[in-house]
Amino acid sequence: MNKELPRSTLPAQSHNPMAEESFFSGYKIDSSYYDEMFKSSDEPHDHCRKLWEALDTMSHASITAMQERAERSFLQEGITFSVYEEEGAQERIIPIDLLPRILDAQTWDLIERGLRQRLKALNLFLADIYGPARILSDEILPTDLVYSRPQFRIQMRGVRVPHGTYVSLCGTDLVRTHDGFLVLEDNLRVPSGVSYMLANRRALKTSFRNLFRQHRVRSIENYGSLLRQTLTELAPPGILDPCIVLLTPGIYNSAFYEHMFLAREMGIELVQGKDLLVHNGFVYMRTTGGLQRVDVIYRRVDDDFLDPLAFRPDSQLGVPGLFYAYRLGNVVIANAPGTGVADDKSVYPYVPSMIRYYLNEEPLLGNVKTYLCREPDGLEYTLDNLEHLVVKMVGGSGGYGMLVGPHATPAERAAYAEEIRKNPANFVSQPTLNLSCAPCLTSRGAAPRHVDLRPFVLHGCETRLAPGAFCRVALTPGSLVVNSSQGGGGKDLWVLSP
Amino acid sequence: MLSRNAQGLYWIGRYLERAEHGCRLLADQLKALEDRPVEDIDRTWRRLYAGLDRKPIGGSLESNLDDEGFMLADSYTLADDLTFEPNNPDAIRNCIAAARENARQIRNVIGKDMWYCLNLAYLELRNTEIEDIWNDRPGEFYLRTEDTIRTFSGIADGIMYRDNGWHFLQLGRFVERAQLLATLVDAHIATFPTGEPHIESDWCSLLQICEARVAYSHQYSLEYQPINVVNFLVSDPLLSHSIRYALSQISCALDAISVHRPAVDAGRLGGRMSAHIDYDWPNRDPDNDNATRNTLQIIRNSCLRLHENIEATYFDYEIEDSPRL
Repeated sequence: MNKELPRSTLPAQSHNPMAEESFFSGYKIDSSYYDEMFKSSDEPHDHCRKLWEALDTMSHASITAMQERAERSFLQEGITFSVYEEEGAQERIIPIDLLPRILDAQTWDLIERGLRQRLKALNLFLADIYGPARILSDEILPTDLVYSRPQFRIQMRGVRVPHGTYVSLCGTDLVRTHDGFLVLEDNLRVPSGVSYMLANRRALKTSFRNLFRQHRVRSIENYGSLLRQTLTELAPPGILDPCIVLLTPGIYNSAFYEHMFLAREMGIELVQGKDLLVHNGFVYMRTTGGLQRVDVIYRRVDDDFLDPLAFRPDSQLGVPGLFYAYRLGNVVIANAPGTGVADDKSVYPYVPSMIRYYLNEEPLLGNVKTYLCREPDGLEYTLDNLEHLVVKMVGGSGGYGMLVGPHATPAERAAYAEEIRKNPANFVSQPTLNLSCAPCLTSRGAAPRHVDLRPFVLHGCETRLAPGAFCRVALTPGSLVVNSSQGGGGKDLWVLSP
Repeated sequence: MLSRNAQGLYWIGRYLERAEHGCRLLADQLKALEDRPVEDIDRTWRRLYAGLDRKPIGGSLESNLDDEGFMLADSYTLADDLTFEPNNPDAIRNCIAAARENARQIRNVIGKDMWYCLNLAYLELRNTEIEDIWNDRPGEFYLRTEDTIRTFSGIADGIMYRDNGWHFLQLGRFVERAQLLATLVDAHIATFPTGEPHIESDWCSLLQICEARVAYSHQYSLEYQPINVVNFLVSDPLLSHSIRYALSQISCALDAISVHRPAVDAGRLGGRMSAHIDYDWPNRDPDNDNATRNTLQIIRNSCLRLHENIEATYFDYEIEDSPRL
């Protein structure tokens, strides 16, 4: 843990603020990026005008003071995220940037329809590959690609999943370029960030009370009840009032705060593997009144660690026999084991084809052009164009182990190229995207920073979305990496009512 | 209620009671350092350690009653041992850290303000060392820490839903209290056996440690007779820091918990302890303290067994011992 209490995380700038300047006077727009607030250097988008006018009349000092208050309350609340480093885990607050990002109703509508469509196709895909595998026999996807994914769980073959819902909760990363919104990644395993979405909203409502009211921002506060509804729908047949629990790896997990927060929001028990046991094919939790049957497990433990008898035998976090009870249909695990195969970075390029194949529709949200290094053409292109590309490991997440070509030194690129040649199938590359920018608070007033967006989609019997998202910000000027584990921060996203 | 949550609350209750007790003992001891003679300080340190059932570092206190400076330096080491020593699990800082760690695991079932209170106390304490408090009125440090713990109890009392969680918190608190009080009173009796001269101010400070001085003076007088002081601290049903009161709170908590699952053996243990005090007390032999000390020993042993029983019944039971299936 940090020795000192964290300080204000305002990105440092070399100049002192000049009192007479207005808040946006130093804001420079770079036309190669889409700007979330401005059409041109002094003309905001229509839906941002009110915010722009209000902020421009506020003093920089008063906004900074609000920002500091918000950060203090985050520390007191313990809204922290652990970052894994060589010397163990460090507990940090997720930096919050107080300036909201605004989406108009129409834009949100497109995103919402696109996300619903995508999740529907992904669930059909999972049901297919763990069942008849038509998509493989029809050669839409290479068979060996799917079966060689480590996240493909052969144990899931033939398991009956309620309502065909493999993914009941996903957090899709979206980025915006001049060409509109693109899906950067589908997170279908144990996506996190929703508690920060809600915490950022709470901080914004406190800081900008009037502004918030004037904007008619759509509410996201019912997220907990949406999630609980979704999990209730997944209950085994005949159980109307299921016992739902949230399974956490424990306090050393980077997202423990979120697990605690969600259990509290939903009014369900937060359990660890050692609180559960399997007896005669049913799952029970130890309560002070005796063993109590558990019907639905919202798990925040990775597949590998769920059940030492079915997956990794050295897991201490899981519940021996859990998968057996699951196969019998006596308990539901959400998300289902084995969903990771669908968000693998080398399966990702095929999602638009899945949408066309299963739904017979054109994808509403595009993909980022991706080169698979397992294919000779892709490998050659990647190696030839490293300085323009972002290269990622297929199984990686959290921004670990990726190369941002334009920002890397020639030596770093050469070393990375060596890694790629050793095991090409482990890598994919994408063009470096011009991620959109939004104004962020710095010590000199507002400055543009790159942002992305992670909305959370829920699916039980039906699909539900809270009109909001965890909007991630790269706090370092010019940086494109927004992951919380890489020092990114968060912003509130305001979706306006139609 | 999830067993681990109940267990967490039970331990929060125990750890905070232990920390609070330590604060009161040390605050009182530091007052003694201001004006009492060296022999008194030496004696009270010895008793303080006996009252906590702990051996000083190195196994025993090495006194040099001719050297006042030595005694004061020793006090510094001893206070450090009981407050900040990382290897002493019962040191005040460790108790608060342990309570906070338990609270962190079960934050979703305790009130936000309870968490804030413990978290802030921990954040403040984790970088404090004996040299930070020693030169500038160390007594105040203990009073402040005690205050924080009481604030926590106050918040818990004010906002907690009275389900099993509350009762386990209370159970932990009062099992710890009964055990600590029995040890402390016994250590005082051992210092001044019946028939030998005693020092009144020692008994007065014992009452003060137990928040009982004013109530005692109303009940008895301003004369601090050992027999009366012991009687008051063991058997008064209205004194919050008496053994009898702690036992009645234990019974209340067990009754409430038993609604969901009978605690037959624990209830029996608690009842037997209360009966000892209700029906066999006072049983003072005019010639020696054996009977009194025996009763205190029974309380201490029963508390240990009660603890084991609660663990085995509610927290860590086997499948076949579960009432539902």
